Amino acid sequence: MTRSAISSQPLPELLEQLRAKGVRQGVGPMAGETAERATPGVRGAISSGFPALDTALRTDGWPRGALALLDAPRGTGATSLVIRSLAAAQEAGGIVAWIDAAGCLDPATVERMGVNLEWLLVVRPASVAEAVELAGWIVRGGLVDAVALDLGESGAALTGELDRLGRLLARGRAVTLLLAGERLRSAAAPVASVRIALRREAWLAVGRDLVGQRVRATVTRHRWALAGADATLDLWFGEGRRIDPLLPALAVPDETAGTATGEAEEAGERPALRVLSA
Amino acid sequence: MTRILALVWPTLRSGRDAPPGSGAVDVPAMLDRLDDLSPRVEAVDRGVALVDVTGLGPALGDTGDERRIAARAVALVREVAPLPVRAGTGENRWLAVLAARLALAARPDPATPAAFGAIPAGPAARRTLAVLSLDLLPADPATRGRFALFGLTTMGELAALPRSAVGAQFGAEGERLQALARGEDPRPLAPRRRPERLTRRVGFEPPMEGIGGTALLLRRCCAELCDTLRARHLAPGRATLTCELEDAPPLVTALAFPEPALEPDWIARLLLGRLEAAARSRRLHDPSDGDEEPRVAAIGLALDRLSNPAARQLGAFNVQAGRWEELRWSVERLTTRFGPGRLWRATTERPRAVLPERRARLTGLGHDATGEEEP
Repeated sequence: MTRSAISSQPLPELLEQLRAKGVRQGVGPMAGETAERATPGVRGAISSGFPALDTALRTDGWPRGALALLDAPRGTGATSLVIRSLAAAQEAGGIVAWIDAAGCLDPATVERMGVNLEWLLVVRPASVAEAVELAGWIVRGGLVDAVALDLGESGAALTGELDRLGRLLARGRAVTLLLAGERLRSAAAPVASVRIALRREAWLAVGRDLVGQRVRATVTRHRWALAGADATLDLWFGEGRRIDPLLPALAVPDETAGTATGEAEEAGERPALRVLSA
Repeated sequence: MTRILALVWPTLRSGRDAPPGSGAVDVPAMLDRLDDLSPRVEAVDRGVALVDVTGLGPALGDTGDERRIAARAVALVREVAPLPVRAGTGENRWLAVLAARLALAARPDPATPAAFGAIPAGPAARRTLAVLSLDLLPADPATRGRFALFGLTTMGELAALPRSAVGAQFGAEGERLQALARGEDPRPLAPRRRPERLTRRVGFEPPMEGIGGTALLLRRCCAELCDTLRARHLAPGRATLTCELEDAPPLVTALAFPEPALEPDWIARLLLGRLEAAARSRRLHDPSDGDEEPRVAAIGLALDRLSNPAARQLGAFNVQAGRWEELRWSVERLTTRFGPGRLWRATTERPRAVLPERRARLTGLGHDATGEEEP
């Protein structure tokens, strides 16, 4: 369509044409996704926010349509990883949702860790079963790119629902990141198309403050790529208030300087990042 | 000669609630009633309306008694809400509103609803104003103080000064106030545009069994109205469906769209879903109806809040905004399916508060959300 043809068209008709072409279908392609969408059968991916993990997944991030289970004991950074993934999805132009069956979502922390609350849909289901059903409805709409499904420590038996959800998700374009207690994790394990095991390797400290943890993420299952690769992730706590301003300068820790026992501190300079054995 | 009628509702203007028993005040409906009196009606702000009543006297069957015209206007608006109202007429909007305010002063009993005041036209208006206090002028406290410093206490004293002298001492604001003190107000009446509303009603003879049976006709009504609007490059922002039942009060459901929309399928499905939910709710609360399906005598569909959908182009430029607008349709669907209180949007209030629940606020989404925020 030439420029003159566009300018001579009535605006409503032009908008209808744009809508038909998908311009108003939202983000159409996200960053780095154009080629994949043009090729049928090849699913795109949404970055996890950690290049090392994207590489370990061998699909440049979470594959679209995946139900990703984070197999992590409490306190090993599964929630931080999910938040970073949602932030990455938003940075690529997407909309994300948080299904908070556990009732423990703190929007302020989520925002501090990079999620734009303006494009975050918060869902508060009445029960865990309803949370799973709502996840299916939201993903089926096709307008949300990443969904965090936080089921908490519930002991409900949801094998059937999760199985149905897994099949539903595989037909959609969204990634669902599942956070659950141990019992639900074992129920969801056969259904999940991607499983990541997280294990804490070390604590990260600045001076006497613990500011984060170093976690090893291992891809234990992947439906569309070879599993087995792992990556090391540095997850920073959202509450490191006093040392927050220092973190950007220290975000790439120098192992040798970090493990040196505070020589810089003694010299009165900035406290160095230290890696403490877990 | 222009004559303007001002209606002032003191309780609305002061933000006080409507009197007990009168319910929420439907100001647009009151203004709609005034349209029956004159086509030129302006809503100045909350609690003040102006009506151009020039030449209306003969039309009302008398020779121009403005009190009777005002009484007619008051009677019209009281059909909607029985609030105390003051009326005043004048040559321009300033004089009309001032007359209404003086009408209250002339009647010490604030409960008297028919307070009416008039400021005559021409030179008589200036004579009327001359004795009034400068406190009646819409001036800021600093300007009032400067007037007092110059010994000016009445409008007549201010009006008598040369305009150039007032401009030199009080600036442009002083000149504006002096014009008002002289009874001059160049601001024209800006009549509001009466909100347009498209309606369609379909009756069933004999009545139809069950609400679900009306789906096809409802879909057709939506399509017809949407086609009409599409030809005019308009789209509705709200739909109201009235379902007249044979032996029960009518069921009414309204649906405000997330954006102006011409999607008859969606509109019909969402309306029908809400209507069926309302019918179920009524059966739950009133078991005397039994389990029988209601018999529908007629359905009425109304589309209003019309606007040009092409004016909302943010989504064409901001992908997330456009996508969110489309997501709101899904939100409506989910609200209908799962009920209210499920879908929220978060905003941070005090990100450093100690208690997590104090840091952010959740606002409900969906048409059932009242706009209230979660405590």
